[in-house]
Amino acid sequence: MDYVEQRMAQEAAKAASANDAVRTPLNVLLLGALLYTTYSLYFRRSSPATLPREPPATVFRTFNPHTLLPYSGANGGPVYLAVRGRVFDVSAGRNFYGPEGPYANFAGRDASRGLACGSFDESMLTKDLDGPLDTLSDLGPEEMEALRGWEERFESKYIVVGRLVPVGEEGK
Amino acid sequence: MGVFDNLMLGLDQGLSEFFAQWNAYSTALVTLLVLVISYRLVTHKEPDVHPLLLARQAQSSPVRQEGESPVYRAHGVPHGMALNSGLNIKDTGASKWSWGRDGDLRDIWRRAVAGTPEEAGKPSGTKGRLLTAHGPKIEAHSLDDITRQINLLGRYLHDQGGIRVAIYLPNSIELLATLFACCFYPNLIPILIPFGVKEDELVSMLRRSAADTVVTAPGAFPFNVVVESYPALRQLVWVADEGNRHMDWNEVPQGMGGSVNVATWQDIVQEAPVAAGTELPPAAGQQEAQDIIIFWQGKPGSVDEMVRFSQNNLVSAVAAQLAAVPAAQRLGPSDLFLPADSLTNVYTLALTLTALYSNASLALTSVAGKSADLILATQGVAPTVVVASPETLLNVHQESSRKLSSVPAKLSHWLRTRSLVENGVMPTSSATSGYHPAVGTSPKKLRLVYTAERARAGSPALSSQVLSDLRVCLGARVVYALTAAEVAGAVAQTGYYDYRLQPETGSYSHFGAPVTSTEVILRDTPDLKSTDEQYQGEIVVRGPSVVGNEAALGVNGKILEDNTLAYV
Repeated sequence: MDYVEQRMAQEAAKAASANDAVRTPLNVLLLGALLYTTYSLYFRRSSPATLPREPPATVFRTFNPHTLLPYSGANGGPVYLAVRGRVFDVSAGRNFYGPEGPYANFAGRDASRGLACGSFDESMLTKDLDGPLDTLSDLGPEEMEALRGWEERFESKYIVVGRLVPVGEEGK
Repeated sequence: MGVFDNLMLGLDQGLSEFFAQWNAYSTALVTLLVLVISYRLVTHKEPDVHPLLLARQAQSSPVRQEGESPVYRAHGVPHGMALNSGLNIKDTGASKWSWGRDGDLRDIWRRAVAGTPEEAGKPSGTKGRLLTAHGPKIEAHSLDDITRQINLLGRYLHDQGGIRVAIYLPNSIELLATLFACCFYPNLIPILIPFGVKEDELVSMLRRSAADTVVTAPGAFPFNVVVESYPALRQLVWVADEGNRHMDWNEVPQGMGGSVNVATWQDIVQEAPVAAGTELPPAAGQQEAQDIIIFWQGKPGSVDEMVRFSQNNLVSAVAAQLAAVPAAQRLGPSDLFLPADSLTNVYTLALTLTALYSNASLALTSVAGKSADLILATQGVAPTVVVASPETLLNVHQESSRKLSSVPAKLSHWLRTRSLVENGVMPTSSATSGYHPAVGTSPKKLRLVYTAERARAGSPALSSQVLSDLRVCLGARVVYALTAAEVAGAVAQTGYYDYRLQPETGSYSHFGAPVTSTEVILRDTPDLKSTDEQYQGEIVVRGPSVVGNEAALGVNGKILEDNTLAYV
């Protein structure tokens, strides 16, 4: 209370001066605030809202077993796998098909036989990458049915980014 | 703590001294500040559409073929879904949730006659009116009367054995009635010939389309020239207007056209009993409707291209136009639609059919055409929606630019342009509407103007600045579409709420996103290749509204940052 009394006495002691000056620091500050508010509310040009550019579309490619092999998710790259001649981009399912995933054997390979038989064995993949593709002719109707089911799931979840042909048939 | 005490004391004293300078000017300044802020709070309007929706207007496919760009589609038809192919017409008695059929032009007329369908909260059965404007004089037609004319003419043409019916009329009720008559009655193919072409072009078009019947107006049709050069003509129907009605048009002058059977529209309509022709042919068991042949006017001096559209093409174009307008702004019975461009232009025709389907009122004027004067075409009526050609709108723009010479007019124009472009808000009409063109008897009612760039036909360019100025001076939204010979309706159309000013698009403004009945691809040409950074090439359109399902337009385009289509 002492302090307050002391300050009040100080202020009262000041001579009450008639203050009619236009250019006081307070007025300058208020004028600045007024001008800035007017500018920012009424005159500022807003730049149009933009969205970041879409990622470029993948180009549809014709793969052979050799060129498909690098796309196994190594070094953070995309993960592709082939089902009955169509190459799906399964990078969204990297947890399953990428490296360290349970189905990593399928990445970068033709997974048709493995999906039809429901096995992730090495024996389901074609050994000879230069030879013709797996024709699946020795599989029974249940296996083909299972393969169709897998294909439909893939079609609904992943996009087709290419087709798989044997080595030497890219031109067709 | 002495330092801190002194600091606070010093601060206290400083602040008190600072605010002790308060005087009348300070009060005035603070009042102004409060006024400025509250004015802004009170008058601020949200933009008509969220700006981020304009930032990406079409959806691209995730995969593209080598030598092509990705496929671009409207947001309403995402990839994997079928394009908008028809009107989803449900027959009476079908469940509300069943998927209707595509329909054809007959369903459009049936809907126009029946009125608005049952819908929650809205009255059903409201019908639009059909008006013809003869200068400032307006003539209203009843829908039942037109239905009767359709039936009688269709029956007459069918009985006479005609197959290909050429219609050479200005915009009029008779043109629409003949078009619908050919759709309702079997084995009649309507051929729309642009009005006002030269005699040799007319003969060439008749010959190429193999027309055996012509419905036309006396005075406009060079009868003797046609009969000499085109002997395959079998039937002629004169549409005489009031000034000519007293003459006997059934008589063919001696020595010419003996093989042509001549009749007049009024005779066909009046000689039948009053009760005849009031019922349209039933929808059940009707045959498939025939194709429609339309001539596309290319560059002046070039031969007009003959295009054969199926009913599916036209109906999907109508469906796309219905979907292009937001639900709150759709055409309805309170709208008056006026085509200021010829109905033989397929874009204008698609929009007119859209208006009929939406039960809007329709006003037709014979002044309409490629270079019509908008003020003349709209006199006597108060249209809310207008279709005009770029030539017409450029004339309007030049006129209004000339009027904007005084400072208050320029200021008003600048303010309204700012409101439009910066804030995305359509400015409501203001006190300075004296500077604006008087479109119709009530210019404030105009709310939507459609215009179309015709690919490869030498239409003048409408830049983004011109479109924005037109929006401001007409007080209506302007929609710019890209149309082509092989596509019914539009290939791409700017968004209803897209008012942005984009000077970087050059002399032609961008054309917006593809409509819901088309998808657009850009195919590489020897000069233009698509790369990951920029997609460009020849515009190729696919969809149910394209003749033959796919067509290359012969013009080069590119895709802009917001996924809209523009010329290169």
